[in-house]
Amino acid sequence: MNAALIERLGAVIAGIIVGVVAFYALYKDWHATGVENQVFKLMLVLLGIGAILALLAGLNVIGFVPKGA
Amino acid sequence: MTAASLPLDAHGNVDQLYIETRELRLQGFLLFLVSDCVLFASFIFAYLYLRNSGQGWPPPGIQRLDVAFAAWNSVVLFGSGATMHYALENFKHGNFMRYMWFLLATIVLGAGFLGGQAYEYTHLIYGEHVTWWGSGIFGASFFTLTGMHGLHVFIGVCYLTVLVLQSAAGVYTRGKFFGITAGTLYWHFVDVIWVVLFSIFYLI
Repeated sequence: MNAALIERLGAVIAGIIVGVVAFYALYKDWHATGVENQVFKLMLVLLGIGAILALLAGLNVIGFVPKGA
Repeated sequence: MTAASLPLDAHGNVDQLYIETRELRLQGFLLFLVSDCVLFASFIFAYLYLRNSGQGWPPPGIQRLDVAFAAWNSVVLFGSGATMHYALENFKHGNFMRYMWFLLATIVLGAGFLGGQAYEYTHLIYGEHVTWWGSGIFGASFFTLTGMHGLHVFIGVCYLTVLVLQSAAGVYTRGKFFGITAGTLYWHFVDVIWVVLFSIFYLI
């Protein structure tokens, strides 16, 4: 098992965990009011999107991976 | 507002000044984040303009960045955003020890991200000879933007370390914790900026 495969596996597993946690936190805070909570909700959406992007990159669906990696 | 969540001053009296100025401080902090967004946006749009005005990307002689390590390092930073969110939530609900553990986890993950970035820089500079000063637009854009973001993460790690020390000293109470809210907002901000940088440097 080479380093790139371990990195991609880590990205996939951690991406799933972080994505689930981010969207669950968003679900729990959905009805929260106040300026800071609205900003937190926006940030959690973007955090979840980031986790999905990292997950897809780990799965080789998007981004560039050199041959043999 | 319950009695436990009232902001108190050093003498145990209700801190009226805190109540009256909290919204203003929040707005001021959000304006600071917006100004930081403008700073990053100007560099990002300059990078995208330069990227699209040349003869292909990356320029001849430079390999595309490897996404595998960057994806792993990114989820380390995104994970720190999740731990920071739960640190704040636990503080709000009075779980002080959980708050401290989540805060410490955030610091460790943030420092881990910086370590990963240092490793990537070392690999690029010594392995592939891509430098800030000698690799044209590509090196200048990459090291300036990711370096500026890394500086923000470093400042965030220092901020969170101060929060740990202040929290251990009892500076924050359930009714008076604007510093923690600001720290969480700042940390989410550096996470979100990395979503954009990760996308433009590694994915497109």
